[in-house]
Amino acid sequence: MAADAKEAAAMEEADSDDAAASAALSELTALLSPSSPAAPGAAEAALALSGSASGRALLAGHPAALAALCGLAASASRGSQPALAALVNASSEPAALEPLLPAVPSLAELLPSSGAACGVLANLSRDEAAAPRVLRALGPGAGPLLRALSAERPPEELGALLCNISRVREGRAALLEPSGRALRRLLALVGSPNSASLRRGAVGALRNCCFQHENHERLLSPELDALPLLLLPLAGPEELPEEEMEQLPVDLQYLPPEHRREEEPEIRKMLLETLMLLAATKAGRQQLRRRGSYLVLRELHGWERHPEVLGACQKLIQVLIGDEPEAAMQNLLEVTIPPELQRRLAQMDTEEEEQRRKEQMETAA
Amino acid sequence: MPGRCRDCSDAGAGGVPGLIGSSGAGPEAAGRSQAGPGGSRRSSGSMAEAHTEQDGVSGAPAAPRYRAALHPDTWEQELEAIPMFMKRCPAEIDAERQPELACLQSLLFDEERSPAELAGMYKNEGNEYFKEKDYGRAVAAYSEGLRRRCGDAGLDAVLLTNRAAAHFHLGNYRSALNDAIQAKKLKPTHLKAIIRGALCHMELKNFVEAIAWCEEGLQIDSEEKKLVEMRAKADKLKRVQERDARKAKVMESKEQCQKEILLAAIKERNIKLVLEPSDEEEEVSDGLAELSLDGFHSGSATGAKVHLDADGNLSWPVLFLYPEHEQTDFTVAFHENSRFIDHLMVMFAELPPWDLEKKYLPNNLELYFEDEEREEMYEVNPEHTLLQVLQHKRYFVKAGTPTVLVFAKRSPFSKKYFSGKKVHRL
Repeated sequence: MAADAKEAAAMEEADSDDAAASAALSELTALLSPSSPAAPGAAEAALALSGSASGRALLAGHPAALAALCGLAASASRGSQPALAALVNASSEPAALEPLLPAVPSLAELLPSSGAACGVLANLSRDEAAAPRVLRALGPGAGPLLRALSAERPPEELGALLCNISRVREGRAALLEPSGRALRRLLALVGSPNSASLRRGAVGALRNCCFQHENHERLLSPELDALPLLLLPLAGPEELPEEEMEQLPVDLQYLPPEHRREEEPEIRKMLLETLMLLAATKAGRQQLRRRGSYLVLRELHGWERHPEVLGACQKLIQVLIGDEPEAAMQNLLEVTIPPELQRRLAQMDTEEEEQRRKEQMETAA
Repeated sequence: MPGRCRDCSDAGAGGVPGLIGSSGAGPEAAGRSQAGPGGSRRSSGSMAEAHTEQDGVSGAPAAPRYRAALHPDTWEQELEAIPMFMKRCPAEIDAERQPELACLQSLLFDEERSPAELAGMYKNEGNEYFKEKDYGRAVAAYSEGLRRRCGDAGLDAVLLTNRAAAHFHLGNYRSALNDAIQAKKLKPTHLKAIIRGALCHMELKNFVEAIAWCEEGLQIDSEEKKLVEMRAKADKLKRVQERDARKAKVMESKEQCQKEILLAAIKERNIKLVLEPSDEEEEVSDGLAELSLDGFHSGSATGAKVHLDADGNLSWPVLFLYPEHEQTDFTVAFHENSRFIDHLMVMFAELPPWDLEKKYLPNNLELYFEDEEREEMYEVNPEHTLLQVLQHKRYFVKAGTPTVLVFAKRSPFSKKYFSGKKVHRL
């Protein structure tokens, strides 16, 4: 890495002149053809170049170079790995979006097996306006994405991609395809033991899907039965009295002593937010209450040390143990909040945040 | 079906014992026409009836016997040997004894026909049997079809799938599954094979596998209702199965933990446990702790076991023996800190029905325990607590149940009982 950086720095210095740099890059581009014997070396050089901010900017401004890298990346040749890695770096530049979008179909087939390909697309779809375009480039139903999702061991970088594309309607539509396979897979990845980024991506995508209350019924249906899978990472191995144990979904009963809660506070918080969204409808609240969610949250509350997660946990508990809202407000996602109230609530949130920060400072001191 | 028989002899005019003379519907229709209530009652009289008719044509010369005509005594068996009237097809066709049948078979399953044709015919035959719920024969027919090695993967896949179904209905889920696996290999898109395989896994309680098969089928047809439903059911059952396994494990470790605490409490009190000699050598080598724990299981027929209460006190099941009357009493939970006399006061508050001499009064009793190893008796002070007795250096708790012998004081019986034994008096 150090050598790369040095090389890149050297290149930066040497190419102080924009035109010269551009010319050099054109030369490099010519070598990136998969049939060229120098392609692997050229790809390594491009990767080194992409290690620096100015190098990335240079690449992003050179559509031909990006296209050549994409071509090499999609080929099964030796240079494809470094080319992909260079593309991951280059794609973090907003300017690379336009030139890279046409190449998305050629990278699409790599998604199920290549973390780097997922990484490129994750970078490109970070911008909310760009995400629908990336999805469109993936073809109808975002087939390659769903194939990557159902791969036995999906690449870790898929997590970020899932999270990004689920922020836009088209992405959610792809994940909510009628067979339910994608949703089932997402729910399974919530408990994926090996990769926090996959877990984060799956939970993030599910949470995004839950912002539309139209999807709640399906997620909570016996066929998908999302609730136990969302609660499981929040449940600990604590022993419960038998009558409480029986209230829980079977998946949460008699967890072994070695069972651990989700280790990432951020993911725990997202899980709680997802549950909170599901509790926005009456049917959702009823299911959450009926299936012992409170017991899981109660135990979590006793265990949780992270203030933000604790706050999310408390809010959800309040919704579950509170009285049912009046008839007109049963779907909390459809309630219109007057601007004045909205402003006050936002202020309260900020104050709460402030308070928390103060407390933390005090404990730290 | 005698009724059927009579009709047949009419229909088979000319006495040709074959198929050619009558239409295919013959025997069935004939059978039906006569099979009314009481049809079976005619069984013994039917032949006689025929004779009467013959006799009726008096004076006429005796009816000529056709060649190969049925013999009056064995007509039933003979008729059944004729393919058309067979009630069922023999499993093995013997060309010597049933030439007609062998002929027919060779007509149907001609050597000249192609293996594919033959396999197709066996498939149809199997399907017929299947419809009749004769799954055993259906399996045989499909197997025969597969033996033709017709080379048509599609047809073989169907034969295998159908045989899987027949096996399934016979309860041979393993065989059925193997056929479904084979069929799927031959034709990966054969949905019926996949459904059958998934059903087999359900029956075999391999829910994870069942789900995998459902998934595979749903890749082909995501709407297939049977698979969608089965997957949901398998998923549910799988989760329950997993819960049950977790629960069993939790319970087991809890039980083990409680046993260990109990054993520690016993050890701490210096109470000695012995077990009846075990048959299994291995168990003995597992060490005293394990052995002693198991001892509680065989504790007593009533299932009473030593128990540690929340205050850390033990209660034991205690067996009282009255050798003189060959009677026993069993106390389910004898608190270790209560005295023998306390129990005796309650137990003998009223005279037991077997104590005709009225000797067994609480204060007129002597208690002993036996040191079986040395064959010696130790007298027990009734004022002592159970714990004190159990802590005696020669007291060994056998099979988890302390035992004491009870005698009436200075009874002639006890003298006799103790003769030849060393008795340690108080």
